[in-house]
Amino acid sequence: MIVTHNELITVTNKAFLGMRRVCGEADLIANMVADLQMVGLHGVKHFNNATQFISLERDEPVAIKVTDGHLIADLHGSSVACHLPVIIDYALEQMIANKHLKLSLKNCHNRWLAYSELLMLAGKGIACKAQWDNGSSPKHTLYILNRGCVLPELFLAETLQREANGLNDMTIELSINDFDIANLSSGYSKHIDAKNLSGIQDTAWNKGVFVEDHEWDLLKNTATAILVENSEQSIRGAGE
Amino acid sequence: MEAHRLTNNDVNMRRPEVVMAPQRLGAMHSNRISFVRTLIRKMAQQKWQVTKDLWQLSAQGFGHVIYKLKTPHHIYHLVVFCNEIEDDERNDRVIAEKWDVTFALVYGEVSEQLLAQLQANVPLQEAGRNPTNVLVLARANKSVRVFEHIVSHLAEGVQPTSDELVDVGYILRTTAVYGNGKFGIADFKILENNPDFKQSFSAQMCAVYLLREFSLDWIDYLAKQKGGEKASPLSNDLKRYLGVGNATGLGMAPYLINHPCIVDQWMSNREAALTLVLDCPADLEKHQALLFLLNKAVCHLQQVNTQNQNQDQLNHCSVNELQHFNGQLKDLISVSNTWRDLLIATEHLSLETQEILISCLMEIYPELVDNFQDQVNTHESLNLAKGKKVNDLLMLLDDKYRWAIETDFSKPENNYWFWYRSQDKEEPRLGIRGEEIGEERELPLDIGRQVYRLYYALLACPAEMTLAEFLLQKPQYRAIARRVWTLGNKVMGDIQINVLHKQSLPMHLLRCKLSFFGATKFDPRSDRWVRVSFFQGAPLLSEIHDGEWLFPVLPQQAVVDKSTDAAVDKSIIALQESSK
Repeated sequence: MIVTHNELITVTNKAFLGMRRVCGEADLIANMVADLQMVGLHGVKHFNNATQFISLERDEPVAIKVTDGHLIADLHGSSVACHLPVIIDYALEQMIANKHLKLSLKNCHNRWLAYSELLMLAGKGIACKAQWDNGSSPKHTLYILNRGCVLPELFLAETLQREANGLNDMTIELSINDFDIANLSSGYSKHIDAKNLSGIQDTAWNKGVFVEDHEWDLLKNTATAILVENSEQSIRGAGE
Repeated sequence: MEAHRLTNNDVNMRRPEVVMAPQRLGAMHSNRISFVRTLIRKMAQQKWQVTKDLWQLSAQGFGHVIYKLKTPHHIYHLVVFCNEIEDDERNDRVIAEKWDVTFALVYGEVSEQLLAQLQANVPLQEAGRNPTNVLVLARANKSVRVFEHIVSHLAEGVQPTSDELVDVGYILRTTAVYGNGKFGIADFKILENNPDFKQSFSAQMCAVYLLREFSLDWIDYLAKQKGGEKASPLSNDLKRYLGVGNATGLGMAPYLINHPCIVDQWMSNREAALTLVLDCPADLEKHQALLFLLNKAVCHLQQVNTQNQNQDQLNHCSVNELQHFNGQLKDLISVSNTWRDLLIATEHLSLETQEILISCLMEIYPELVDNFQDQVNTHESLNLAKGKKVNDLLMLLDDKYRWAIETDFSKPENNYWFWYRSQDKEEPRLGIRGEEIGEERELPLDIGRQVYRLYYALLACPAEMTLAEFLLQKPQYRAIARRVWTLGNKVMGDIQINVLHKQSLPMHLLRCKLSFFGATKFDPRSDRWVRVSFFQGAPLLSEIHDGEWLFPVLPQQAVVDKSTDAAVDKSIIALQESSK
């Protein structure tokens, strides 16, 4: 299915609103999905994965503690999409006193969906490094967005890196200085560079965005939860 | 107004509580930087060329037509499909499935393959899928009465009677004009660097202007088919008077709530232009030009036929007020230092009258106002600032959102309505809370209520707590906090309306947006949908110029019957005479 950016945003927005969540902002989550999908990184699929579990998650604030430039947030098994913006707000307050901050997100899901928020930070002059281990392929993901970058350098590996992280954790590092990409990326089996992602993004804008048919259908179906069935009264509610 | 003036960058703008009040938005009229006016000026100044590329219609007027548009930068095509439909299938609501005319504005050439693709999809509208070289997708229905009246008269070689035309004012009425990525068409982002259509909604306005040309060509063609040698074309003065109708319903209202940065930009831009005009000395040399426009407004309102009692009363009131005001205009200008003084002198008059004066004042200062025509786009992101405390946000709410925090949302009348989307093509609708189904799926358009709840949640926290800490504990307020921080720091900010209130009128929101587009002849059919005209009085393609066409009026009958192209000029001369 070829869709447009606006369709991605609109349908995702409706889909999230239909979930009636306390935590999470529909407009931001729609951007999280669209930004990923536009560069071919399966935003719709990640969102669809999230929707399967979101209704089972604890819909409550995250617990945070900060020590010496290290912020630890326990998401209680929830989606990163619903909580990352408030965590980032809090982290940025800590960065007034620190040039570098490490965020450890514990017990979280849908870690790809962090991408859009980090993209915004890079645009504001904060370099970002995100990495996590995964139970299935690729076993380890790392991407780096240095200051001012509009697209990341992405590295994948088929071995777990662990670094004190569990399979449901994620580590994000924020810095006012750029990260050393060459040094940090050694040992990864696959590199998708920003130029490659940029080409995919240009095609998406100009020719439309590719989404797997079943993923699109699933998303559209989720978005129907917000619709109200017809009635005599409802037809009059349109004003005729 | 004087006591509440806002100073922004040394410019004395009117305060947001004045400008953004829903009743005032609901009285707005088009002005010289409304989008249709900007488009026509651009087309004239850059000498855009439009030609009939293909005309494949049956004798009954069904088939397809292609117009080619050439700008200094690019080539586009308007592809129009005319379909035969039953009278009972003609419906202006979004739930309709067939239309008399469907059309698409396409970037670049139209190959046979693309034409076939468009033919298979454009007539389906929402049910079709279109490629990204389609910039605009739209549909229109005939005004059957006007259509048949004009064609039958022209077929006999006689011009139609103006009484029939004045009631309606158009041949075709659009019921939706889609842009920005709807149903597969190009996202607006693609037009970001396109010098022709980088202004939001300009591609849609252009498609509608070209449709107007088609509607005029169509009736001439059908009259010729019907009357043969006997038939005559519609006179240019009547063609000029006919625009394109538009039926707009509740669907437009959520746009204004969901795109607050754009609304702020439009309103702030208009205010900035107006402020420059209001700060000018009230110059008696402008008296004639202003009086001419105000008299034209009177004539225009007298020619608006609306079944809506409220709008009819407002129009009559405005006519009476303006006739009295116009009689005193010279004296009022004499005692005014600036045009602001003149505007203040109308504060006791209706909002409709005040807004007419504003549009007329803007009209007589093209050298000041037109500079603002290209400043309608803006970024839409809603952000919080770093390092802010609970108290910072409370102070902002106290300053900019009194309309919300002083509303008592525990009272049922302030929560009367809820907005939702229906399963019927996802049409936005209004339901009565506690009576109708769907309340649990309410759309978050209740900005006033959200602000109220945020305010009281903030009050319960220590003033020195950081906003980040507050939102960490209460993440449900982050979306509204982002909105109020962003909009509260803009010039005009949010529209000051509680859309849940029992007396709240979505019509005010519709009229605001339609005025920015450049609509005229507001004819509310209920408090939830309205018919208007676009391009009524606008120059024809063959004579396109960047002159004024504010407040369209019917050419004088005596002049029309002579079928001279100078009819409008004579009509204007007559008005000028009456202005002296």
